[in-house]
Amino acid sequence: MNSFDIELVSVSKSFAGLPVIQDLNLEIPRGEFVSILGPSGCGKTTTLNMIAGFNTPSLGDIRIRGRSQTRVPPERRNLGLVFQNYALFPHMTVADNVGFGLRMRSTPKAEIEPAVQAALRSVRLDGLGGRYPKALSGGQQQRVALARAIAPRPTVLLLDEPLSNLDLKLREAMRIELKEIHEQLGMTFVYVTHDQEEAMAMSDRIVVMWQGAIAQQGKPDSIYRSPATRFVADFIGRSNVLSVSKSAREAPFLHLTLEGSPIVLRSACVGGAQTIRSCCIRPECIVLLEETQADIVGQNQFDGVVRRIVNLGAHIELLVEIADGLRLTVLIRSGRSSFPPEPGSTVTLGVDPHDVQLLAD
Amino acid sequence: MNGVLSCLFWLAIGVVLAFITLPLAVVVAASLSPSSTVTFLPWDWTLEWFGALLSDRWLQPFLLSFRIATVVAAISGVLGILAAYAIVYEKIPGSALIMAGLLSPLSVPQIVKGVAIVLFLSIIGLQGILGTPALIAAHVVLALPFVTRMAATSLTNFDGNLDRAAQSLGATKRQRLQHIVLPMIKPGVLSGVTFAFIISFNNIPLSVFLVRPGDTTLPIAVINYLEYSLDPVMAAVNVASMIFILTVIFLFEKIGGFSTQLHGGSK
Repeated sequence: MNSFDIELVSVSKSFAGLPVIQDLNLEIPRGEFVSILGPSGCGKTTTLNMIAGFNTPSLGDIRIRGRSQTRVPPERRNLGLVFQNYALFPHMTVADNVGFGLRMRSTPKAEIEPAVQAALRSVRLDGLGGRYPKALSGGQQQRVALARAIAPRPTVLLLDEPLSNLDLKLREAMRIELKEIHEQLGMTFVYVTHDQEEAMAMSDRIVVMWQGAIAQQGKPDSIYRSPATRFVADFIGRSNVLSVSKSAREAPFLHLTLEGSPIVLRSACVGGAQTIRSCCIRPECIVLLEETQADIVGQNQFDGVVRRIVNLGAHIELLVEIADGLRLTVLIRSGRSSFPPEPGSTVTLGVDPHDVQLLAD
Repeated sequence: MNGVLSCLFWLAIGVVLAFITLPLAVVVAASLSPSSTVTFLPWDWTLEWFGALLSDRWLQPFLLSFRIATVVAAISGVLGILAAYAIVYEKIPGSALIMAGLLSPLSVPQIVKGVAIVLFLSIIGLQGILGTPALIAAHVVLALPFVTRMAATSLTNFDGNLDRAAQSLGATKRQRLQHIVLPMIKPGVLSGVTFAFIISFNNIPLSVFLVRPGDTTLPIAVINYLEYSLDPVMAAVNVASMIFILTVIFLFEKIGGFSTQLHGGSK
């Protein structure tokens, strides 16, 4: 047997003839925290619903622990589900909500009570079992929903944008807590979200979806460092995506001529043989060079005019025009720069060739 | 400007409330009248007319109405839930058409319906069921749109994620209906059933065609009595049935009283 909890094998799904998911292949190893990340309409919720069994794939197969789930109804898949709107049963107390899954499986009464207490303790809600959901805050309700889903010890926990209804501060606190709960339970988590920060903060692995297909998957930092496509570069974090008109290899660098300008960028990335049409540079990878700074061998350098300055507190964001119509967003630490640039002033930018990433489209 | 508007608002509310309550107050006053002509003086009143209600003349029609209304409420409650379940929850084909059909009795005048039912029963040779069985059937037809509508509204507002949550927790369809769907739509169904009870208990236009002589429902007995006399007994009957209806509403409200838990629950 393999160690995958969930496998999607060539799964396609169309609604009323419109393809929503196209030939999706995904393997989720046991115990991993996997985020399915994408903008609304990318098919991530449909994918989750197919795993949960509420939607049936038009083509392909879904396996849970190696077993095909095609004929298994949602109530027999032993999955936990957490919804964005909590979906707590309003006519039951918190304890009855959490114990619901166990009661439905005819667990002996003597075992339900300790299991409910344990689940409530793991979400830090001990002592609130007697309350009704409406007496709790949004954050508490979401914890109850989490406790309810994990109490029957499901194979996999599916979470559908569970933090989207919470305010920012609470959301950030819950990220850490969710991660801790994941580590403590050792259960496989599949987390659907459109919030890339959330996915970056918690996941062992991120699956970026776009237009019903996987755009890229990998560890959060490898996706951030080397996005594969324009879409991923744009969607995950911020980046300067630049169109390339011509590329030529001159070892050890790849020389990229930017479209509509004479600027040539050196990239240390080993690209494929095919023609390169675009590349990207993260705003924080661009440095402001002082005149006295010596040329670093191989570093890209170009002059530009500062067009706009946005103070973000810890950082300062500059918009620098390096050629006609070609503007780069630059992120520098505030307080560090000894020469605070003025709008309209000329600056010299430096980019390490390793930070010029090649994109596939 | 706002002051004027607010004055008009409260004035309008006052007039409407007065219009609703004053006639009732008159009936209550009349039922306490010491003389057999209807008068009322605050320092001079009696409860003796209510004593007259304990005679068979009023008790028999009351018990008949009560029995019919209870059966009608029960039958239309069950049928209404089933109809709403099929139409809203299962979304069977043609559900909009079925809903329209179930609501159609609302658009036919009751007198017309009464005549139609009598003619229909005699044509198919079932005039033998006139009386209680026909009354129950006719009242169910009349009450069903209300119960179905209420149950359907509750089911429409029912958050499908609750059902999915229960399903993911291992609940079979039967378990979900029992533990989630029915408790959630209970308040709506109960208010529909209350309507059904009241509609049946108060009905005149249909019942007048369907009662058997000598075995009448309370409203028909009142109509019959009214033809000969207008006295405080009349008023006492009406006050008593008003109190009875209010009690019924109160009791149903109590049974469905957990509705307060639902408001602001899973939002």
